[in-house]
Amino acid sequence: MFESIDPRSPTPLYEQIAARVRVAVAAGELSAGNALPSVRTLARDLRVNPATVVQAYRDLAMDGFVEIRHGQGTFVQDVPRFMRDEERTAQAEKLVRKLLQDAARLGISAEEILQVLSVETGVDIRE
Amino acid sequence: MNNAIELRDVSWSAGKSFALRDLSLRVPTGSIYGFLGPNGSGKTTTIRLFMGMMRPERGEIRMLGKSVPRDMKSILARVGYVPERPHVYPALTVAEQLRYHSAFFRSWDRGWAKELMGRLQLEAEQKIARLSKGETGKLLPLLALAQRPNLLVLDEPTEGLDPVVRRDVIAAVLDYVSEASATVFISSHLVHELERICDWVGMMDRGRVVAEMPMNQFKNGIKRLRVADAPATLNGSPFTVLSRLSENGAGSGETWIVRGWEAPMRYYLETVGATLRDVIDLDLEESFVDLLRSSRPPSGGRQ
Repeated sequence: MFESIDPRSPTPLYEQIAARVRVAVAAGELSAGNALPSVRTLARDLRVNPATVVQAYRDLAMDGFVEIRHGQGTFVQDVPRFMRDEERTAQAEKLVRKLLQDAARLGISAEEILQVLSVETGVDIRE
Repeated sequence: MNNAIELRDVSWSAGKSFALRDLSLRVPTGSIYGFLGPNGSGKTTTIRLFMGMMRPERGEIRMLGKSVPRDMKSILARVGYVPERPHVYPALTVAEQLRYHSAFFRSWDRGWAKELMGRLQLEAEQKIARLSKGETGKLLPLLALAQRPNLLVLDEPTEGLDPVVRRDVIAAVLDYVSEASATVFISSHLVHELERICDWVGMMDRGRVVAEMPMNQFKNGIKRLRVADAPATLNGSPFTVLSRLSENGAGSGETWIVRGWEAPMRYYLETVGATLRDVIDLDLEESFVDLLRSSRPPSGGRQ
């Protein structure tokens, strides 16, 4: 699940880990009651600082995505539908912003991007 | 005690050829501190100074809240050290070396030493003289870890090791940190290795500390900017320009390396009539290289 964690990205690792869990919850990949890997296991698997994992889990707990039960582990909360939808929208926005930024760097206009999107998705998104 | 290691204005020199001048370092307790620098920049010398193996000419050193070298004996009881060169005896077996080493440390954990030996696939009866480089590279951190130290000092612990061994060693260190929340000081010139695990970075070049800050701040604060129509001198700039190069051929375009950058600072550039074309993120290695370039005097060599 955490394969996409990229230590070279300017996004801090704890944010990447937390984001990955949020996306998994929003996409239904993780559901209420599922256990996240222990701090020790995830730190070892990702070869990151355990403090980084702790910070990611704490952020998730603050947002109501997980519950940290001391001595037992970290568990996915029952996340209301609207929150999952919000998360999906947030992720979509992020993807598009990144796409537009890269496009601008290459001198590709938004119009051209829309055209390609239409063709690729088969959905006519132009008026 | 907020710093596990603290050096204040430390100076040391080896004749005229090499010197550390007014060196200051602060390694926060509980951090995993990456100590970066090119070969010969003074990393190992710095470590030997705070490990009490050499005396500074000036300055003050504290470890675990105590004074170096005055309290060295009680400090060393709580520090696990992996030196640059192996400090083991070729004639002993692995088990004998462990027993010898354990005699110096009251906190030695026999059970864990045994577990680590299994995990790192070391044979108890193997003679040290016959260990491969990778096996020796695993034995040294094992010795340091089984002491259950409050502070681990690793001087290029994975230098010359293959990727599999390197991962095993790093995993064992991270496991210990999860469980014991120790401080780890790790020197390396393998930047990518440190990028994952460290939350603090210190950088040395030519006997000086050129940067010391939390990893996130370091990675986010240093950017490459592409700027057009910038004035020759900047007044009251909210960020620090480390270097400015004009882009080949392309009119008034320039590439800047800046430190302390935050997104709203683009408005400052507008007020001085410059156009910001792009902000490019740098990874640790690129930041490191750019920082080194900008901290060195422009061509013509030393001092």
